[in-house]
Amino acid sequence: MRIRRIGAAVAAVGVVALVMSGCAAPTAESGLDKGTSVNVAWNQPFYSYNGMTSFGNATANANIIYMTMDWFNLYDNEPKLVKNTEFGSYEKVSEDPLTVKYTIKDGVKWSDGTAVDAADMLLNWAANSRSLDTPDFDPAEFTDPDTGEFTDAFPKDIVFFDSGATPDSGLGLVHDVPKIGDDGRSITMVYETPYVDWELAFPSALPAHVVGKNALDLTDNKKAKDAVIKAIQDKDDKSLASLSSFWNSGFNFTELPKDPDLYLSTGPYTISSFKADQFITLKANPDYTGAHKPTIEEVTIRFIGDPLAAVQALQNGDVDVISPQATADITTALDGVKNVTVIKGAEGTYEHIDLQIDKSKNGTFSDPKVREAFMKVIPRQEIIDKLIKPIVGEDATLRDSQIFVPGAEGYDDSVKANGSAAYAEVDVEGAKALLAEAGVTSPKVCFLYSSTNPRRVNEFQLIQTSAALAGFVVEDCGNENWGGLLGTPGAYDASLFGWQSTSLGVTSSGPTFETGGINNMTFFSNAEADKVIKKLNGEFDPEKQIELQKQLDKLIWDSYYGVTVFQFPGVTAYNNKIDGVDPSILSPTIFWNIWDWKVAAKK
Amino acid sequence: MASFVTRRLIAAVFVLLAATFLMYILVSMSGDPLKELRESSAPNKLELMEARTRLLNLDVPPFFRYFIWLGGIAQCFVGQCDFGVNVQGLPVNVLLQQAMGSTLQLVVSAQLIAIVVGLAVGITTALRQYSGYDYSITFASFLFFSLPIFWVAVLLKQYIAIGFNDWLAEPSIGIAVLIGISIVSGLLWMSVLGGTGRKRLTTLAVATVSTGALLAYLNLTGWFSTPSIGIVGVVLTAVAAALGVTAISVGLKNRNALRGSLVTAAVGIALYYPMTWYVFRFMTLPLFLGLAVLSVVVGGAIGYFLGGRDRWQSARTSAIVSVIISAVIALEGHLFYWSDYFNSTRINGRPIATFGSATPNLGGNFWVQGIDTFTHLLLPTIAIILISFAGLTRYTRSSMLEVMNQDYIRTARSKGLTQRTVVVRHALRNALIPIATIIALDIGALIGGAVITEFVFGWSGMGQLFQKGLQNVDPNPVMAFFVVTGLLTVIFNLVADLLYASLDPRIRVS
Repeated sequence: MRIRRIGAAVAAVGVVALVMSGCAAPTAESGLDKGTSVNVAWNQPFYSYNGMTSFGNATANANIIYMTMDWFNLYDNEPKLVKNTEFGSYEKVSEDPLTVKYTIKDGVKWSDGTAVDAADMLLNWAANSRSLDTPDFDPAEFTDPDTGEFTDAFPKDIVFFDSGATPDSGLGLVHDVPKIGDDGRSITMVYETPYVDWELAFPSALPAHVVGKNALDLTDNKKAKDAVIKAIQDKDDKSLASLSSFWNSGFNFTELPKDPDLYLSTGPYTISSFKADQFITLKANPDYTGAHKPTIEEVTIRFIGDPLAAVQALQNGDVDVISPQATADITTALDGVKNVTVIKGAEGTYEHIDLQIDKSKNGTFSDPKVREAFMKVIPRQEIIDKLIKPIVGEDATLRDSQIFVPGAEGYDDSVKANGSAAYAEVDVEGAKALLAEAGVTSPKVCFLYSSTNPRRVNEFQLIQTSAALAGFVVEDCGNENWGGLLGTPGAYDASLFGWQSTSLGVTSSGPTFETGGINNMTFFSNAEADKVIKKLNGEFDPEKQIELQKQLDKLIWDSYYGVTVFQFPGVTAYNNKIDGVDPSILSPTIFWNIWDWKVAAKK
Repeated sequence: MASFVTRRLIAAVFVLLAATFLMYILVSMSGDPLKELRESSAPNKLELMEARTRLLNLDVPPFFRYFIWLGGIAQCFVGQCDFGVNVQGLPVNVLLQQAMGSTLQLVVSAQLIAIVVGLAVGITTALRQYSGYDYSITFASFLFFSLPIFWVAVLLKQYIAIGFNDWLAEPSIGIAVLIGISIVSGLLWMSVLGGTGRKRLTTLAVATVSTGALLAYLNLTGWFSTPSIGIVGVVLTAVAAALGVTAISVGLKNRNALRGSLVTAAVGIALYYPMTWYVFRFMTLPLFLGLAVLSVVVGGAIGYFLGGRDRWQSARTSAIVSVIISAVIALEGHLFYWSDYFNSTRINGRPIATFGSATPNLGGNFWVQGIDTFTHLLLPTIAIILISFAGLTRYTRSSMLEVMNQDYIRTARSKGLTQRTVVVRHALRNALIPIATIIALDIGALIGGAVITEFVFGWSGMGQLFQKGLQNVDPNPVMAFFVVTGLLTVIFNLVADLLYASLDPRIRVS
């Protein structure tokens, strides 16, 4: 009985409820954010706002810093170095001694309203030249072996900026404290010896007043700036020690720090939110007065490690721009996505094959004729056709210069003249003739490459097959620890790996090709090349620099150094609701013209 | 008992020491941590290499470096664990904390659903052995078991995210699809419920027609663009829950328990309007959790006081009913904000996300955040469930079958006990003993992170920590991962042993 009664009650409640169902329940404000973002996928999370330390030196950081920090110059996508006069100007006051004056434009401010001035540049010099560092100090003695942090025993008056600068190159050559001028808006630096890449030597700066406030326990911005200047000018080791220690580690963060001072900006964007391992959002800087005023209000960089996941995220509209690691699978997947523009191009790293001229395993390549013969049978075009064309399509081309970045001024002229054309196609007969001339039969080549990289394994196999036709016995010296073996005397005869071009600086080829240079792994030594490199390191005229680089390029090819093969393929894809994406070969690749991106008009 | 646990724990310490040592040596010899710097043409590369060497003690041979690392871990005993730094100089302690957090979020709900569904399906397949249903589930679970998860993930993204989002732009089900779904649902019900030929046909017809009618109704009312449950839905689910749970838990013959669950259902329905009108607007997480606990308590109390002789049985039944109704009403709370969420500028009508754990800068109140978590958890959860589900159903099925063929089950039947009593009370309890061990071990493994699942769905949990560390030849994060998973495996092994002993009186630990 009672069950029935309860059943009736349930029914009654149900009926009453049904009657009331005509009215909808009032809901609270949803609280949803009304903004829109352009979402960009990147494969590594941001982790440091100071890209100049050995920790922070990574593209993931450089991209963000590029968008939030204005500076005196930047690379466009040609690539060419462009001056940014809305931020400030710099000029070479004298060539000998090399004296450079940097002046910040009046009215340029950090996003907290403090002026950008000489204090920032002075601290930037101190950090990136290491001229004020305590000499001969080895921090290893005071580093906690577990954490890598400095122990309490770390002397309080030791100055150590972790920028990796050396006293004989770049900004490290500026040994004396630069002079301040123009009401504290300019500094003048004097280089100890001429340095032709001086335009690239001075990287973008961090806010001196923030470093000063945190390192010296100050609260006032003006006082902090003065204290920084004073510490540097007086070489006050105690203050400099705290400044350096804050500069080294104070700007490392993996989520939005509580103190907004740590992410001040001078550029088109400021960091507005940052969630660990998920995303970082940049908002247009409302106080920005510079040349690169952005049209897109908000940019979010989302961290996606898996390239295929990035493609599907693009397809689903979770992100608008992706630049995943290019493989044939990825480009095939992208071809099937609608309403997306795909740009296939090249990246800064280039693959090359070097021949060990001296101290090699079998001594095969000590004879230039044998080197030339081997270069003739390296199937460069076949490597491109089989391994690179499936990724970037018919546009894939050989890189034909040891010195010039494709597209940069001088590349085309140099390629015509440097003799690389002789190695465009495999020439088995020519190689056999050369070997006969040299009087060697079945020369052995121990070939070093990364055995864990599938593309390089394929390249090796193509080379092995092709070289066998001319009688070369190419031994598989592939090793997963190949990086450590590079340049080891007696370990191998030829090597295959990539060099990364990070700038167009002319001094970067020196260490690779000069006798005893730190990147000279092949024991290449050519008196004439050394002479040209020396001249190049002292030549300030860009026209003449290019002439010298062309000479050097030809000298290297003529000495049968080895061959360059291809520029790493790169792929960028973006949703058609965005206009203006046009990636550059050098860092910061897709972001270089972020301010030119637009949300396309609806079609 | 105490001596058993102590012995096991001491053994575990040695196992962990040996395992971590081996792991450390393997990771540090797996490649060259300076590789990217060697390839760089930076002018200061020697200094950069030196800095990294200093940071990670690369100048110390791996054999001795292990003991440096062990020294940091040993500080855990004084409450200051130190897992070292990774190759970028970030403290691994922080990374580990972040990774643990997101892994737990990802794994807990997936594992719970997998357990519930896996057990239910496993039991029903055992009861309907060699039926069409049994064969289909066997086929499906072997299929899921053998699917590589990265491929499942790609398919899920393509169809459940991209395809479904496209469909949501103009959501309506075509006639052919509608008929197809209805027939499949009819067949499913038919084979689950079983019975004589005539009963099966009736089930098929009723299930097919009612599914078809429901879908057609949802289609016509535009439910898919503005989903809601409404009071009608709540009433139906509440009554169904009351009857269903009572039937399985104590049997409909137990009038006291039935009365308890029906009253609970009535209270739930009566609370629908007050809740949605007055309470939901001010919802916060603590309030939500408080209400959840309250619903269990109130349901239990109703059952207890109306329970007659078997008070606790009745209380349990009503508590479960109460939780189900509360969940339905809470779901309604979320659905109120569905169209706001759907049309938000950050979502743009594509709610199901393919990666990440939240929409950046979404904003939104408690309910909107709930929806957002759901849309991000959906795909990885399905992926994990599909894999765990496969194993669980097989184990449950075989364990259940074994028990069902025991003599004491025949005895119970011959005593004249109902099918429900035999299955739920006599068979199921004993069948669950081996399953408990499997689940305990599963949990230990899952907290270690689903390495591939996390990678393809952009969740930066334990799996990512491990994978990235290995990629960079960076022992510290890998070891942090390994210590946590190793520890959990050892502990859950012990828990499983103890659990076994307490569930099965034939086994004694000593």
